[in-house]
Amino acid sequence: MSKKSDRLPWSPGRMLVIASNTFREAVRMKLFLAMTGLAICALASSFLFREFNFGSSELKFITDFGFGGMTVFGSALAIIVTAQLFLGEIEHRTAMTLLAKPVYRSEFVLGKFMGVWITVACFIGMLTLCLVLALWMRESSIRLEYPEEFERGQGLVQYGGIVWFSLAQVFRIGILCSLVILFSTYATSSLFAMVMGVLVWIVGQLQHIATEVGQAVESLALKAVYGFAGFVLPNFHLFDVGEGLAMGEALPISVVGKLLIYGVLYSIFYLAVATVSFNRREL
Amino acid sequence: MSVAISIQGVSKDFRIPGSKRRLRAVDNLNLEIDQASIFGLLGPNGSGKSTTIKMALGLIRPSEGRCEILGKSSLEPSARMGIGYLPEAPYFQRFLTGRELLRYFGKLSGLPNSNLQDRVDMLLAKVGLDDAGDRRVGGYSKGMLQRIGLAQAMIGDPEILILDEPTAGVDPIGAADIASIIRELRDEGRTVLLCSHLLSQVETICDRAAIMVKGKLALEGSVDSLTSTSEWSSICIDGLTTEGREKLEALAEEAGFEISTPRRSLEELFLELSKRGGDRK
Repeated sequence: MSKKSDRLPWSPGRMLVIASNTFREAVRMKLFLAMTGLAICALASSFLFREFNFGSSELKFITDFGFGGMTVFGSALAIIVTAQLFLGEIEHRTAMTLLAKPVYRSEFVLGKFMGVWITVACFIGMLTLCLVLALWMRESSIRLEYPEEFERGQGLVQYGGIVWFSLAQVFRIGILCSLVILFSTYATSSLFAMVMGVLVWIVGQLQHIATEVGQAVESLALKAVYGFAGFVLPNFHLFDVGEGLAMGEALPISVVGKLLIYGVLYSIFYLAVATVSFNRREL
Repeated sequence: MSVAISIQGVSKDFRIPGSKRRLRAVDNLNLEIDQASIFGLLGPNGSGKSTTIKMALGLIRPSEGRCEILGKSSLEPSARMGIGYLPEAPYFQRFLTGRELLRYFGKLSGLPNSNLQDRVDMLLAKVGLDDAGDRRVGGYSKGMLQRIGLAQAMIGDPEILILDEPTAGVDPIGAADIASIIRELRDEGRTVLLCSHLLSQVETICDRAAIMVKGKLALEGSVDSLTSTSEWSSICIDGLTTEGREKLEALAEEAGFEISTPRRSLEELFLELSKRGGDRK
């Protein structure tokens, strides 16, 4: 029979077991395959629409299309998969069997987060690969058409910058996943958690406006409210740093580093609150 | 005999949504379940059995009182090292195969990888799913879900098993197999807390039983003591023939006594108590 110690140590191993199972569940979902297919089709369609590049360069048009797909489909996938895989365990009562094992609730929360986050990271990784491939193909054909533009041996696209940008998006979506997990710890339906996720995504995109308004108002009370909202809510706009990558502009590593730290800190903050909330939840 | 599960003065109140009132699901419950025994927890729907089980598993916090598993507070995850749980109408991750499901729960129970494969194979064979181990759980029948549920409850080699309706949806042969596994577990020195509506099954396999009505403990004791009636006496006669029985009956009738089976079934007792709202008199 099993031997018992007085206090069960917190185990990264158990957390990883939950994470790998969550990842396995996510990639076996039809939604994941559908979203991946849809995003790749959207990226491929940028070749068809490249004539309508509204005056910007063709490569920039493809890049913008790719980045847009990454952000929109990645965020949608993060919201839906996180809500379904976290609350699904509670709604289907599989969480009861799981938490009847020697597992801390914090291991469950972090395991679920890691599983979903890795899923979204894979999704973004696949899109990045497709985007880089699409840009390289187009750039190669341009190189053949206009060899004089490439005399100095320099390419038009900053491929390294695209990879760094994608990495930053993984952390942006990590914040979103942790927020949806936080909502899921007290929500009673997946729909509620998803709606809250969408709202927070919109608010996060506009958070910088609230901060600017907060700086402009004179009332101290309003300043405090805006300041608090600016602190509690993430600023997703900060992650939109891919503007000049297709025009040969580099993405400084220091900017990426700051974004990664920002993403990690916010994710830790939301996951800590989610753990406290889930510890209080009665299953 | 030492105590496996101890429930001391436990009450549980739930908030009624949209109201300030609270619903008392369990009211001052005291229970002690000995090690190496099979304990039946009975009660009509809404009597507080599931809430009691959830408190014993640490899934919900008692409003008052304390639950202990092998001397540890049930709220401590370490207390769950010694527990295996089969929920009522189990629903498992449909995308996993039976084998993957057992491996998953085995890892969560802290089984080392080296032992895991052997234990999974052994348990699949024990519950009669060795041929279905590589099929997805989503395609399992109700009875197969109960069997894989029982296997996952046993995966961590627990000292205590809490089984909520383990034979629901299982055919009679399967139910007999499960009953025999439960007896085997007791004989190995494990404790089984069994919730079931199949009272005849509880009567035949449990050592002790408790009946809960409206959140309170209505009755608790050994199954023999619960089913025997004080007004009746029994005399065991070895080799009694039909002729002999007729003579005895005639004698008893002459003396004004009645001869009958001096037991009532647990089902009769259960129905009687449930109708009286837990009142024993």
